[in-house]
Amino acid sequence: MEARSPSIAAIGVIGRHNNPLHISLFDATGPGYEHARDKLEYSFMLNSCLDIFEARMPNKTIGHDFGLLHALDERIAMYGWLLNTGVKLVIVVDMEGRPALSPEAGKTAILGLRNSDLTPAFQALQTAYISLLRNPFYVPDDHDPRATKGGASLQIASPRFIKEVERVGKAWYPGTTAI
Amino acid sequence: MSRPAQQPPIDDDTANPKVAASALDFLLIELVPLAQRITERLHAREQALIDEYKRSRIFNRTASKAPAGHKSQTSGDGSNAAEVTVTDGSASAKDSSTSTVTGAEGAQSAGSGDMTSLGFPVMDDSTREGVFFRLDALGYRVGQGLVERFSANKPRPTTPLDAIKFICKDLWILVFRKQIDNLKTNHRGIFVLTDNRFHPLSRMSVDRRAGPRAAEDAIARAQTYLYFPSGVIRGALSGLGIEATVEGSSSEIPTATFQIKTKGAKP
Repeated sequence: MEARSPSIAAIGVIGRHNNPLHISLFDATGPGYEHARDKLEYSFMLNSCLDIFEARMPNKTIGHDFGLLHALDERIAMYGWLLNTGVKLVIVVDMEGRPALSPEAGKTAILGLRNSDLTPAFQALQTAYISLLRNPFYVPDDHDPRATKGGASLQIASPRFIKEVERVGKAWYPGTTAI
Repeated sequence: MSRPAQQPPIDDDTANPKVAASALDFLLIELVPLAQRITERLHAREQALIDEYKRSRIFNRTASKAPAGHKSQTSGDGSNAAEVTVTDGSASAKDSSTSTVTGAEGAQSAGSGDMTSLGFPVMDDSTREGVFFRLDALGYRVGQGLVERFSANKPRPTTPLDAIKFICKDLWILVFRKQIDNLKTNHRGIFVLTDNRFHPLSRMSVDRRAGPRAAEDAIARAQTYLYFPSGVIRGALSGLGIEATVEGSSSEIPTATFQIKTKGAKP
């Protein structure tokens, strides 16, 4: 069997009131792994992370990094990051998401990820979110279920933000230092 | 696209700001008259529309008497319109002068025409309210952005007091280049921030020759410069998950007091 290395399977941005702001899915690549990821399945997965955030929040006061939230099976694991404003970033990692380019890269699928491996990805996402807030056309209250009357979609529609999330999701690999 | 894909990195060197301090000051100064002009012009335009609408209704009523086809409908409408004109009769007579004025003159004449001892127009209550909402909304959005950007490498505030401290120390230095001088709280949701030398007010002065009312007039005019900072505080708190109302006031010129009432606060 061909060696596989981890890739990002999904990125979720979740608002302060646990409303989904943006979900990006990234299909696995390589022969035998072509089936598309199911949007509903992944939104359930992201949903399952919220309780873990909630449970860990009281005794975690310093730092954004919530590390590994939970591992679903031997392939799929979820990592979380909480911004000071209550926005949650979740990255779902597929341990066999892409074919390993080198024998070295193939080992991470077996050895597992270090916690710091995802830090650059989270930092890039946080930067993207901050840039989104610096966009005058983005009104944060339009994406807050308590401030809006409902009806309209609360999801982020900014093409630049979505493109940046896509870029982060595709560019990350274990051991990367900057995205 | 020729734009480089890499975003410029966020630097947190607050000691070395990238925006000229004077530019920010001028912006803060210019915001208030801007909001005032917008409000007054909108007010004048709204009044003009109302008057035009009224005129058209009156015209329609007189015109509709000739064809008798829609008798039942027009009679119903007519009584409605009559009611409107009766109740607004006094108002429309008074406002007709402002409604005809448009554009640049609107800014001066839409205000009540009341002058202070210094010769500056005083805003009437409805304009003041409009200016307040406009500036507060601007500040709110700015506060939301600032808190996301500058709380990035700070510990997460877990209590409301922590959030207020973040505003007193970090945010205030960023925007006004000094810390809040005094923070009082009743530990039940009300916080009072006092800045003994609030930057936007620090260059204002009271004309002592103008008599005893000069101080009051000066404070009334300075008051409008506190709406935007109040909005910034409200936006920052909302970013940190605290719903609050913020009221800025000044009792003496360089001093500013902001009273923050969080939701569910007990006096």
